[in-house]
Amino acid sequence: MKISLNWLRNYVALEHSVAEIEQALTLIGFEVEEVVETGLAPVPNVVVGEVLERAPHPNADRLSVCRVRTSPEEEPRNIVCGASNYSVGDHVPVALPGAKLAGGLNIKQSKLRGVVSDGMMCSPRELGLGEDHDGLLILTGKPAVGTPIHEALPAADVIFDIEVTPNRPDCLSHIGIAREMAAYFRLELDYPVVRTSTQHPFVATENPCLRAVRSDTPANCPHYRAYCLTGVRVAPSPDWLRERLEAIGLRPINNVVDVTNFVLHEIGQPLHAFDAAKLSGGKIIVRQAHRGETLDMLDGKRRDLHQQMTVIADADRAIALAGIMGGIETEVDETTTDVVLEAAWFNPANIRWAARRVGVATDSSYRFERGVDPEGTEYAALRAVDLIAEIAGGSFCGPALIDGAPPMEDREIDIAPDYVRKRLGFALEDREIREALESLQLEVSEIEDPADPEQATYRVGIPAFRIDLERPIDLVEEVLRMYGTDRIPDAVVRAPGLIAEDSPIVRFQRRVNVSLVEKGFHECMHYSMRSEDEVRGWFSHAAADTLALTNPLAMDQSHLRPSLVPGLLDAMLLNQNRRNTPSGLFETGRVFREQDGRLWELFSIAFTLPAGVGDPQWRNPPDPDYYTVAGIAKQVLELAGVAPELLREPVPVLGVDPWQEGHSAELGDLQEGFLARFGLLNVAMTRGRDIAGMVYGGSIHFLPEFLAEVRPQPRYRPFSLFPDSTRDLALLVDREQPAERVRSELESAAREATGEAFDVESVRIFDVYEGKGLPEGRKSLAFSIRFRSAHRTLKEEEVAAAFQRIQEAITRTNRYAIRS
Amino acid sequence: MEDSLEAIVEEAESGSRGLGMASRAEFEAWKAGFVGPRGSFTLARKRIADLPREEKPEYGRRLNEVKQRLDRIFEQVLERIEMAELTASLGDPPDPTLPPPGWDRGSSHLLTQVREAICTILARVGFVVAEGPEVETEFFCFDALNTPSEHPARDLQDTYYLHSDARFANVSKRDDERYLLRTHTSTVQIRTMLEQQPPLRIISPGRCFRRDTADATHGANFHQIEALYVDRDVTVKDLKAILDYLFRNLLGPDAETRFRPHFFPYTEPSFEVDFRSRHLNKVGKEWMEIMGCGMVDPVVFESVGYDPAVWSGYAFGLGIERIAMTLYGVDDIRYFYQNDLRFLRQFA
Repeated sequence: MKISLNWLRNYVALEHSVAEIEQALTLIGFEVEEVVETGLAPVPNVVVGEVLERAPHPNADRLSVCRVRTSPEEEPRNIVCGASNYSVGDHVPVALPGAKLAGGLNIKQSKLRGVVSDGMMCSPRELGLGEDHDGLLILTGKPAVGTPIHEALPAADVIFDIEVTPNRPDCLSHIGIAREMAAYFRLELDYPVVRTSTQHPFVATENPCLRAVRSDTPANCPHYRAYCLTGVRVAPSPDWLRERLEAIGLRPINNVVDVTNFVLHEIGQPLHAFDAAKLSGGKIIVRQAHRGETLDMLDGKRRDLHQQMTVIADADRAIALAGIMGGIETEVDETTTDVVLEAAWFNPANIRWAARRVGVATDSSYRFERGVDPEGTEYAALRAVDLIAEIAGGSFCGPALIDGAPPMEDREIDIAPDYVRKRLGFALEDREIREALESLQLEVSEIEDPADPEQATYRVGIPAFRIDLERPIDLVEEVLRMYGTDRIPDAVVRAPGLIAEDSPIVRFQRRVNVSLVEKGFHECMHYSMRSEDEVRGWFSHAAADTLALTNPLAMDQSHLRPSLVPGLLDAMLLNQNRRNTPSGLFETGRVFREQDGRLWELFSIAFTLPAGVGDPQWRNPPDPDYYTVAGIAKQVLELAGVAPELLREPVPVLGVDPWQEGHSAELGDLQEGFLARFGLLNVAMTRGRDIAGMVYGGSIHFLPEFLAEVRPQPRYRPFSLFPDSTRDLALLVDREQPAERVRSELESAAREATGEAFDVESVRIFDVYEGKGLPEGRKSLAFSIRFRSAHRTLKEEEVAAAFQRIQEAITRTNRYAIRS
Repeated sequence: MEDSLEAIVEEAESGSRGLGMASRAEFEAWKAGFVGPRGSFTLARKRIADLPREEKPEYGRRLNEVKQRLDRIFEQVLERIEMAELTASLGDPPDPTLPPPGWDRGSSHLLTQVREAICTILARVGFVVAEGPEVETEFFCFDALNTPSEHPARDLQDTYYLHSDARFANVSKRDDERYLLRTHTSTVQIRTMLEQQPPLRIISPGRCFRRDTADATHGANFHQIEALYVDRDVTVKDLKAILDYLFRNLLGPDAETRFRPHFFPYTEPSFEVDFRSRHLNKVGKEWMEIMGCGMVDPVVFESVGYDPAVWSGYAFGLGIERIAMTLYGVDDIRYFYQNDLRFLRQFA
């Protein structure tokens, strides 16, 4: 919202500097987005001059020597000038000897390259009017020679563009801001005095314009007033009014419309003027729009009205969309002589809805949406009647026609000074609290606190326009604003210890992050929204439907992501296209999955490793393969606290889209809390995305609840200090036989063989061999079996006997043969 | 007799010095010259048989002594040879200036680093991290935070919603309100307050969503950290103190904060906070808006069942992207989501 300093000074005697005012506005909660200084303040010894002659300088190519008249009486002056944008006959600002210009330049008579210069013709910048220094300021309209320059230019003004928070609609006007400034600087506030009742007495005859007003929709318009003026002469507005409106960026229209706009920006009450002659049936009815009704609005567009919209209507039709914009058929134009002036209060929610619905935002709707002063309609209307009568003449045909009553009344809030101190945390005196409230035009009286007779309590009267003040806590803010937030004292942080710790999800996320970063992965972040095509392509159509947003902004961000892998592939492609050295990538974050008709928000980790790409190095590191990513996935699951026995037997991933069948595997089940898939990403899919080489990776989902489960902390288990005894055994098995099956069978056989006598510490695969020397369809798996006792050193014979029993047991079924 | 034994040792000593970088075979041949079947020491030992009885013990003792000295010499030579063999087995010395192949240090994303920096600073004064879902409901995102039902933030213009038939198994609803993508992490504060009794001091970092067109300073997807402290007699002064503490730790000891009264539905009074710090060259002098904060509105306490007559508190929230851009001079928010390795590697 634009506020003119000159305009503001009509109501409060602000003599502070622009910087002080800007600071004050900022500190009491009005963010100043821009300050623009316009016009020109008086500059002594700078006057309008006329260029009479212009001749080249005898000693300098770029300079000219001019004869300039700066006074009707005096002789023209010699002035040397370096600019080139002017011609003989132009009127320009001339700084005479003795002038002090912007930037501290003092003008005196001087010689320039041997020629006397008796003053200086000025550029806009030299006068302090912005940054333009490309040439002289040419004065359009040729003001009289010798006129002080500030009189020839628009008056100096400062325009503050300020942001008013939605809780302060009372400040959406010059008086609103003046009230705040008067409070902060503790100055008097002068409201414009309404003279209508004395200087323009009611014409006590029947109102010739209007017989009745009525609101048929009291919920949306509880209060409506209409004022009539007859014999008005519609014409362009006088200079002062045009200047006010133009200063804040409005376009003057005619004196009647301009007055309504002026009052809106002066007081904050939107008004509307109808041409009385164009009203049908002599009455105004506020009602809901009819089905199928349309309105040609002042912006030249016809709009279909909705039944939930509130309209102002005459006997026949809608003539304005209430609180938003008038209709073109009843507009005030140069033919208008009788005017009906509307001042009303509309339901903010209804105006907001309607304005959005028709796609129109006006100064009027902006204020009604936020809430205008419920008691301010009469004052604003009479102020406008005053101004119209003064500017456009005419007679006021009172009294006003009124329906309904202001929807809100003045109220009181009781507040104890101790409450204020307790909320703020520092000591203000009672006096300071009271003064702060009173500075805001709030009436403060002292009452006895029924609970504590010793303690004074303030009863604070709240005017209706302060819709933001309802509770004592609201007044605490007002005290602090006026006391000054810059006076909140420094303090140390209070930090009494609590029994609490970080969320287990965050703790896990941190550990995974450290672990993957240490392995050389770079963490990525991608948007949580992906395209419909991708989600449909990767997951079921049903899944895609449930993951859709109702109101996506971009086609490629229409669905919640079910996986982090696509984002990582995007990053791989981007880096490939930019020819960056490839690297492992990972991301952690939330993904969304459909299962059994319900959606789950999951915590997910995904990582990718490129294989067979990158610039050759003087010695190439080994490419990653399935086992590389399986190892990483397993470590992540271990970090999450997944029990080791659940990690032993990954099963092949079959028919799950991004994974290459036969080269990928999975562990877990979402129902149990986690699901991990890892291995080679589908080569057709990566190739389809133009990604070079192979991509290995992993994608691990956790139910957040699974990570939040409390797991018992480990307890110390004693370990044997006696030496181990180890035996190696190679078995010939079917090529398709998973190694872990064999290993676990061998482990069972070993445990059975040793019984209670001593322990089988581990059974470990250390070699896998296929090919030459072995029968077709068979492979060799070599195991290392480690025995140990907790109580003694093992004897050679007992280990040998046990090993013999193991070999017998494992070959008994003929599925395995010992490879010697 | 004596002299000849001493001469054997001397010969072995001088021979060992001359042996240099001999092979194992050379060493064995040389060693046999002393202790082999025809070696000088073997012959000297055999001579004991010819000695008179009374000289035998002394000679025997001398023989033992010489044998030990010879063994030591052989041992030393052997060790030297073994070391030479080991050294030879090491191959050519590396060129120390060749780049180690395949070595790339990983990196945490800059937003993670900034998040952790803020969490660490606040953890020192007792804040713990709380987590909550990114898909939320209107109750937790708006109603419980005193946002009026017709508030523009709820509009389809500003907030992403899910279809009405979406059913989340693990995001709880209050009633039958709509699912949406959370616009701030204050939702976590509501969920935490509904579960725990005060006093509490939590921070909720996380991803938020607003229906914004992406440009250099906006994205539909961004990260916030919100903090909440609820206790008895928490004051505006405490709020200023924690923010001064946070920004001096984050931006340098000369960082200053400024409170501008503002409006948020869930705090009263509410403030926007500006900061300045000479450490940050470009933005050092001007006040720069960085975050919003305020004292928890009593209505919010009522909506979670806390008695506002007993409990008071403050809350503040800041955008992680914004802080990261300020701290590291990143001039376009989109870089955080492009994942160009040249960007990521800068913060490894």
